[in-house]
Amino acid sequence: MSARLELENVSHRYGNDAPALEKLSLAVEPGELVALLGPSGCGKTTALKVVAGLLRPTAGDVRVDGRSVVGTPPERREAAMVFQKPLLFPHMGVTENVGFGLRMRGARKEEAGRKADEALRRVRMEGFAGRSPGELSGGQQQRVALARALVTEPRLLLLDEPFSALDANLREEMRDLVLRLQREGGHTTVFVTHDQEEAVVLADRIALIFDGRLQMYDCPEAFYDRPATREVARFFGATNFIDGRANDGSVRTPLGDLRLEGTAPPGEVTLTIRPEAVRLEGGENSFRARVSSTSYLGTQVHYELRAAGTTLRAALPPHVRLAVGDEVTARLPATSLWVLDRRF
Amino acid sequence: MGGRLKIVLLLAPALAVIGVLFAGGLVIAFVQSLGYVPAIGMTELTLDAYRGILSDEDFFDSLVLTLYVSGVSTGVSTVLAVLAALALRRSSGRLSAVVFQLPITIPHLVAAVGIALVVGQTGLGARLAALLGLIGEPGDFPALLYDERSVGIILTYVWKEVPFITLVMLAALRGVASDLEDVARTLGAGAWQRFWYVVFPVISPSVVAASLLVFAFTFGAFEVPYLLGKSYPTILPVMAYDEYRGIDLAARPTAMAINILIALVTGAIAALYLRLARDLGRRRG
Repeated sequence: MSARLELENVSHRYGNDAPALEKLSLAVEPGELVALLGPSGCGKTTALKVVAGLLRPTAGDVRVDGRSVVGTPPERREAAMVFQKPLLFPHMGVTENVGFGLRMRGARKEEAGRKADEALRRVRMEGFAGRSPGELSGGQQQRVALARALVTEPRLLLLDEPFSALDANLREEMRDLVLRLQREGGHTTVFVTHDQEEAVVLADRIALIFDGRLQMYDCPEAFYDRPATREVARFFGATNFIDGRANDGSVRTPLGDLRLEGTAPPGEVTLTIRPEAVRLEGGENSFRARVSSTSYLGTQVHYELRAAGTTLRAALPPHVRLAVGDEVTARLPATSLWVLDRRF
Repeated sequence: MGGRLKIVLLLAPALAVIGVLFAGGLVIAFVQSLGYVPAIGMTELTLDAYRGILSDEDFFDSLVLTLYVSGVSTGVSTVLAVLAALALRRSSGRLSAVVFQLPITIPHLVAAVGIALVVGQTGLGARLAALLGLIGEPGDFPALLYDERSVGIILTYVWKEVPFITLVMLAALRGVASDLEDVARTLGAGAWQRFWYVVFPVISPSVVAASLLVFAFTFGAFEVPYLLGKSYPTILPVMAYDEYRGIDLAARPTAMAINILIALVTGAIAALYLRLARDLGRRRG
């Protein structure tokens, strides 16, 4: 039932504006949940609308199970979309709303009603079948909208920031619901969000988009451990950047020669390391540093370490207590150092 | 409480004008319709005027004509406006906006004269038709003014009200209706299904509301039928005016009774409109 989705060099521009999307290429495997992540205005919603067929790409191809759908109108793509707002049909009851897609495909009223009730059960809204949309809260309405999309057994499920209008508690609950439904149904799902945490929690893979261009497409861990560029690393909260000159398996930096695992191409490079990976110990890749600030976060303490004009952030367990001005030995393990902007 | 008092005080000048001119006029009309016109020695309150009207065939002829003109004007305007709005909703054309907003700014009186100049038997249309050889001479042009079917009046109303309803509908169509249509598309609804099951039901309350306003207006409006209508039967407001202007001062209660009946009908329609508008607001909320 679920399909493989491919975008190949998809571009889109609105009128004469700068392109909203430029040469986006990515593939979503059957049953996979992919998040299109990026700051607002980066083109992720444009990409989703191109997949849905609500926008026509100005260039490039969209394929579902290997067949181009660029000429196929949205109503024949079997790509159900859930929008930022629930957009329930105000003149219909909850059950009619959910059964709408089935009715439009010629299902009889009883059958549509039965399947709608079943779908409402899946989103835990079975008690609300007889209500009208106006009587539901925002979160409840969005659940109904989700049921309305799922009931049609779409080949693609497209979610456009469906929880951004909900408050934090509800958002978490809805995430769990979407994860569960997606695992049960195995729908190929594309999820648009500007919330990095949401993308990490939900997605099998994340496509990070800035200014209409794909920056990185990988599993969530990779964005922390192996970010492609400084911008990607920054977006995922990285703060430690060390410039240097690579020479085989080590990089000459103000902190000394840092050995890498593997090799870096010779030339100017930037290294990054997660704050959690910084150690306070001697050994390989270690150097003397001074604590320049501390902030206690309960489960962790964040320290700013200064050494040779470079500032590094280290996240350490709370039992390590250092004060501003303390001299320490810090170590950057080779296995945790990552070379940014590396050209393969 | 202070806030409410402030609102009342701020509204007071406007309310005073409305109160004196509108409500005051209505009260005086009502009192006179009950036969109380002390200036000519009529001081006894009676329902004679109403009795007189309701047993008068002329009144019913006039009522039928009024309902006919309002009904047809509203119906034709609504259908044309729906089609126009559907055609225009995807465009953001300045030209169409101007074309549709212009008639709204032109007074009914001017519109009526304009229509008369175009569709009269000595008018532009007749001459053009004769010039093109469609008719023998301008006088052969069908009589559209002062005629049996009130075509001139209806044309004027249609020309004036289509843009009004269209603009109301465009607002509805370009708002939530278009988002809902996108949802329906991704759920598999074709163009006709989207119109019939989503767009039409969603915009219909706005259509009905705008139509009710047009109906209420045309039902109580005086100037266009006065200029373009035939002399018998006349439309109700014209009938009331004739009674009022007649030399027989004793007919004054009759004129006022007709006005009160017109006010009752338009009032009922206004109430219906307000109710619809409220339901609409609640559903959106």
